[in-house]
Amino acid sequence: MNSRKLMALVNKELIHYFSSFMGYVVLFAFFVISGYFYYLIMVESHQASMQPVFQTMVFILLFITPAITMRLWSEEEKSGTAELLKTSPLTVWEIVIGKYLGVCAFFLVTLLPTFVYLALIIANGSPDYPPLVANYLGYILAAMAFFAIGLLASTLTENQIISAIIAFAMLLMLWVIGAAGDSVQGPMGDFLKYLSVFQHTGDFFSGVIDLSHVFYFASVIFLGLFFSVKILESKRT
Amino acid sequence: MIEVKDLVKTYGALAAVDRVTFSVPQGAILGLLGPNGAGKTTTMRILTTSLSPSAGKAVVAGFDVVDQPEEVRKRIGYLPEIPPIYGDMTVINYLKFVSDIKEVPQDKKANRIGEVLEMLSLEDMSRRLIGHLSLGYRQRVGLAQALLHDPEVLILDEPTRGLDPKQILEIRKLIKSLSGKRTIILSTHILPEVSSTCDDVVIIDRGRVVAADTVENLSQRLSGGKTLEVEVKGPAAEVEKALEKTEGVSALKSLGNGSRGVCRFEVTTDGSNDAREALFQCIVRNKWVLYQLTPLGMSLEDVFLKLTTKETAA
Ligand SMILES: Nc1ncnc2c1ncn2[C@@H]1O[C@H](COP(=O)(O)OP(=O)(O)OP(=O)(O)O)[C@@H](O)[C@H]1O
Ligand SMILES: [Mg+2]
Repeated sequence: MNSRKLMALVNKELIHYFSSFMGYVVLFAFFVISGYFYYLIMVESHQASMQPVFQTMVFILLFITPAITMRLWSEEEKSGTAELLKTSPLTVWEIVIGKYLGVCAFFLVTLLPTFVYLALIIANGSPDYPPLVANYLGYILAAMAFFAIGLLASTLTENQIISAIIAFAMLLMLWVIGAAGDSVQGPMGDFLKYLSVFQHTGDFFSGVIDLSHVFYFASVIFLGLFFSVKILESKRT
Repeated sequence: MIEVKDLVKTYGALAAVDRVTFSVPQGAILGLLGPNGAGKTTTMRILTTSLSPSAGKAVVAGFDVVDQPEEVRKRIGYLPEIPPIYGDMTVINYLKFVSDIKEVPQDKKANRIGEVLEMLSLEDMSRRLIGHLSLGYRQRVGLAQALLHDPEVLILDEPTRGLDPKQILEIRKLIKSLSGKRTIILSTHILPEVSSTCDDVVIIDRGRVVAADTVENLSQRLSGGKTLEVEVKGPAAEVEKALEKTEGVSALKSLGNGSRGVCRFEVTTDGSNDAREALFQCIVRNKWVLYQLTPLGMSLEDVFLKLTTKETAA
């Protein structure tokens, strides 16, 4: 991994997001939706926690992720720029990690308004800090897992719409698989429930950092990136 | 510098590249000439490691494209068929991005970008979005990208496509000036482009090499001369001498000796008259036996018919 090359790739992704209509639609959606839920929840519950906001945002992220990730590789393939990346002195891992960090960097921007809510919470009460950290960690890990899946979907096709549909289908699977687990008995049911994303966000949002949940998200991220690399490698033939 | 041997790329039943063999010595410019669908782009993709071959071997800048692709990538500049540009970047930002991924030394980056902008007369466009540029300017940005890290091998797929006549001449001059230190392969379906720019030429059609020669020899073969395959039963050395002296023969190449004292030659005629009669007389006079006298190069002519042979039609 060469940091100069990674930075260049991340920067290129950011330039793209901030010069595309879709980038601003996504930012706007994040700002408005998170603001609206923050307002509703704070006014209603007077809780000094980010939990309700993030719990809702994770769910919304499930729908927004495909719009953010669909272009990641599909567009390079379609426009012919994939040839530049593939014939430059870049490893496939550098390409994949660069793109992945690019979308994560864009996501960080969507977190900006939550810092305003955070400041308001801190100003209006004396919140416990460790649970707030757990809230953020859970939300960020879930988002990063979603993006790894979206990136994988994007390596599968040069058509952005199909890429978005595949990403959405895969994310939906990770959600509904929990419900399937509820209706199956025994270890199989437990396993299906284990795969579900929402099984692993709950503890974070109640303010607890459990390493087994961190491990789950890290695994999803790793597998997403690993298979993206394998698919791009197989495309040379 | 570039060695291609029995290269094959198949797509299902179609052989897009079919046992292609050629080599380019260091510092030379090779023109890859062929009609649409000949396999030029496919060959270049293999040479630049973006595609792996089905069979055969290709060595670029001393490294095998299959075994050591990373080493090859460091040493090549590649202009793909579709310029690999990002419409939402400015020309300058794009070239900065390319310098970073192509390992242009940090302290030389700004200088090098300036040089390349100047080479391609892009200075006035540097702050514009690539997506807003005209076709010809986009092509030039694509070329700038290939030259940026000053690679020892340049592989250019139809470099003058989309350019206006003045730019075509300038880019050709630029390409010619780059050779010497660098080894260059360019593809085209325009015959005059090869004769004005290249040292050697490889003509391919439907995946196969139809002719590989220096530009000089090729133009001679084109200027009316025909190629014949002659198979004679007789003492090879004497036959060769006699055929060479026959009226109307401009060049002769031995194709090897078969069994039972039969030898084969490729005879190029000067095109002034049909040399077949003279060749036949010569063989009979010497009491050798004529096995075969076949006009070759028909396929070459076919290919030429499909090529753009006039500059204006390009
Ligand atoms: N991915 C692919 N799948 C199937 N067939 C392909 C693929 N890529 C190329 N081909 C086929 O391989 C052959 C050679 O194509 P190639 O692009 O190399 O031709 P070319 O010489 O570059 O032609 P042109 O002058 O039109 O650019 C064509 O018949 C083409 O249809
Ligand atoms: Mg082509």
